[in-house]
Amino acid sequence: MLSYYLRLAINSLRRTPGLTALMVGAIALGIAACIVTLTVYHTMSGNPIWWKNNVLYAVTMDSWSLGAPFDALHPRLPPPELTYKDALYLAGSDIPKRKVIMTELQGMLNGAPGQAMPLRVMTRTTTKDFFAMFDVPFEYGGGWRGSDTEALPEIVLTKQVNDELFGGADSVGQSILWNGHRFRVVGVLRNWQPLPRFYDVIDGAFAAPQDMDQVYVPFPWVSALQALPWGNMACNGDSGSLGNYGKFLNSECIWIQMWAELPSAAGRQRFHAFMDAYWAAQHKLGRFPRPLNNHLTDVGQWLRVNSVVSSDSRILLRVAFAFLAVCLINTVGILLTKFLRGAPIIGVRRALGASRRQIFMQHIVEVGMVSVAGGLLGLALGAAGLAGVQAIYGQDNTYGMLAHFDPMGVAWALALAAAATLAAGLYPAWSVGRVPPAGYLKGR
Amino acid sequence: MVNLNVRPILSALIRNRTGAVLIALEIAIALAVMVNAAWIIAQRVQQIEEPSGVDARDTFAIGLARLSSKSDLGSAQQEDLAYLRSLPGVISASATSSVPLSRYGQGTSLSADHGPQAPMTATRMLEADATTLPTLGARIVAGRNFTATDIRPLTTALFQTYPEVIITQSLADKIFPGGNALGKPVYAGDSTPMTVIGVTSDFIPSAPSGSPHYDALLLPQTPGDFGFYFCLVRTRPGMTSALLQTARRHLATSNLDRVVFLAQTLGYYRQQLNAESRDVAIFLTLVTALILSVTCLGIFGLTTFNVSTRTKQIGTMRAVGARKRDIVAHYLIENAIVLIAGALVGCALALGVGQWLTEQYQLPRLDPTFLAIGVIGLAVLGQLAAWHPARRAATVPPSVATRTI
Repeated sequence: MLSYYLRLAINSLRRTPGLTALMVGAIALGIAACIVTLTVYHTMSGNPIWWKNNVLYAVTMDSWSLGAPFDALHPRLPPPELTYKDALYLAGSDIPKRKVIMTELQGMLNGAPGQAMPLRVMTRTTTKDFFAMFDVPFEYGGGWRGSDTEALPEIVLTKQVNDELFGGADSVGQSILWNGHRFRVVGVLRNWQPLPRFYDVIDGAFAAPQDMDQVYVPFPWVSALQALPWGNMACNGDSGSLGNYGKFLNSECIWIQMWAELPSAAGRQRFHAFMDAYWAAQHKLGRFPRPLNNHLTDVGQWLRVNSVVSSDSRILLRVAFAFLAVCLINTVGILLTKFLRGAPIIGVRRALGASRRQIFMQHIVEVGMVSVAGGLLGLALGAAGLAGVQAIYGQDNTYGMLAHFDPMGVAWALALAAAATLAAGLYPAWSVGRVPPAGYLKGR
Repeated sequence: MVNLNVRPILSALIRNRTGAVLIALEIAIALAVMVNAAWIIAQRVQQIEEPSGVDARDTFAIGLARLSSKSDLGSAQQEDLAYLRSLPGVISASATSSVPLSRYGQGTSLSADHGPQAPMTATRMLEADATTLPTLGARIVAGRNFTATDIRPLTTALFQTYPEVIITQSLADKIFPGGNALGKPVYAGDSTPMTVIGVTSDFIPSAPSGSPHYDALLLPQTPGDFGFYFCLVRTRPGMTSALLQTARRHLATSNLDRVVFLAQTLGYYRQQLNAESRDVAIFLTLVTALILSVTCLGIFGLTTFNVSTRTKQIGTMRAVGARKRDIVAHYLIENAIVLIAGALVGCALALGVGQWLTEQYQLPRLDPTFLAIGVIGLAVLGQLAAWHPARRAATVPPSVATRTI
């Protein structure tokens, strides 16, 4: 029976080649537009560490001055970073299972075997839990161990830096100069580039390659080198009276980001209480002029409050769906008119004993063919569109970086194509089955 | 005289209403998307065309960072600038702490007052000297530029305050809405006054979050206290890329105490700054064009189909006295009714979407002119789409009526 329906459908579609092309083409274009915008949106709004979403928390407290909130657009949010002294104190707590404090530094690598020119590397100074906490994969070796307050001369390289300096070989145990100091390589990462870069959206959730982390060194190196951060820093009030590095470290400048791993609700409450007690004690000493506003923010929420998904991509997504809707309505209109014009023949079929179900099946097969053709063409167009976006923008552009045709996206697109066109075809196929046969037989 | 009898057309439409309703709905959505997309595009184009205040096309930036804390950045900087100024084709070179139009730079908050309740304005900061403004192509509009004696040398002291500073016109207007900022003190959060000695024409300083503005504070300081500095270089037109390559190659090896970490034209950053707006505008234009095409093709296809399946009725109408132009009018009026219905719903929808965009995304309120142009444009295109099939219908001979199917 199915092959008979297929033959009928092919005949019917071939009788009106223009309309068929219009339906298939419109569906394909609508789906292609949705694939492109959905892929960009999907990557942008993705949570690259979703399996730890309710375990990892960004730690923030409002240390800002009274005059105005830190962010005038979001007056209820505390600043996204901590002062050095607050970060150091909070990271001293042993309530969290793991915790990291970190900042970005400019770094220079020198003295690798056969290295002619110094290599400038974006350096993340962080504490030892960073790698285990964010499930960072290692190719060779691992993170450093030992105390978080000691400037250990140990360095972790990304795959790209290891490829450049050591030709991709296992460099663990090798010695290298970082900012003029001798370091020992303890680990080399595998390719790890979470998008968005959830752990540091402040310095760029979609940073350009030259702004991505390239090496990792222990946090105490910041003060050991008297280094100023390369990453985002904001100072309030007292910046004029900072004369030397010691005063800077003790200042109200915010430049340290902190995350805590708190798997249990009880632990979360205890850490929150710990923060609140610290706030109260400091408040009594004359710090923290703004109201108590301590936050533990999970990854998903953190990405939202920091507006990682651009409002543009949201608008484009909606426009793409509106376009798809127009294309589908167009198709429904054409199918309906076409099917109803065939009513006299359906009348004959019904009179000869075809059930409503059979008429419906016959037409839904035709709808199915249009939708499969449109869906496949749309998929091809969408993939071509994404390849085009990548080719035009390249990898150092946000859209270029986001426009990867991932399997998840294909699955979504296929589901979308099937659902959209079947939904569009159901009504015409159903309504044509309800044609009363008698009226069309009388006239003959 | 065309017989404009709408009643039978209307009743024919109502008999086959589902198809007509769908086309009207399609037109409504198309109109709403089209008008609002055009409105967004207009905003973006305006944003892209806003002047940067910088001669971006003929300027490049080279970023240099020290190799270790022992490096002497102050003398390295002097050598680098002397080299760059000696290159034939270079008009001007200057060392600063940030790159206009790019993400690289520092920020602070500025106020005309101090104390906890002082209203602060977010400001970008540039360490500059007398050569910085001329290199950028900005000019002093009031007061004076820095002189060589104003500039503090590179020391280990951090976060100094400066008795004399320069601000941009835009920042001056914000902090001193009353007018003349010249000679007035400004405060960066504490009680140390900095006197405005000059106001410069507006330019886009560094823009870390991709939301550029013209508010900038220039400090008389030799850059390098954070371990890096940028050399901004203005060249003769057309020589920027070549000179950038030459300078980068030379500076990479001339002094191994510091490392080139960035070499880029300001034109590149200008483009990056507008990249998202441009992409959005391109995508919206494309989708709008496609929506319009699909809608018109839909009208064309359905009218063609209706004509080809109604030849007997058309023949009958012709046989009982309808002239060719009456047939054309019949189909065009039928189409116009659908278009009008669609446009009415579409206007409401477009205004609703516009209102929603204003609330959600702080977009300016939709200009009714855009809606009017959209309606007229869609109506003309929609009628053109039906024109060809309507003409075909008119060619059906009256004799068709007498034949059986």
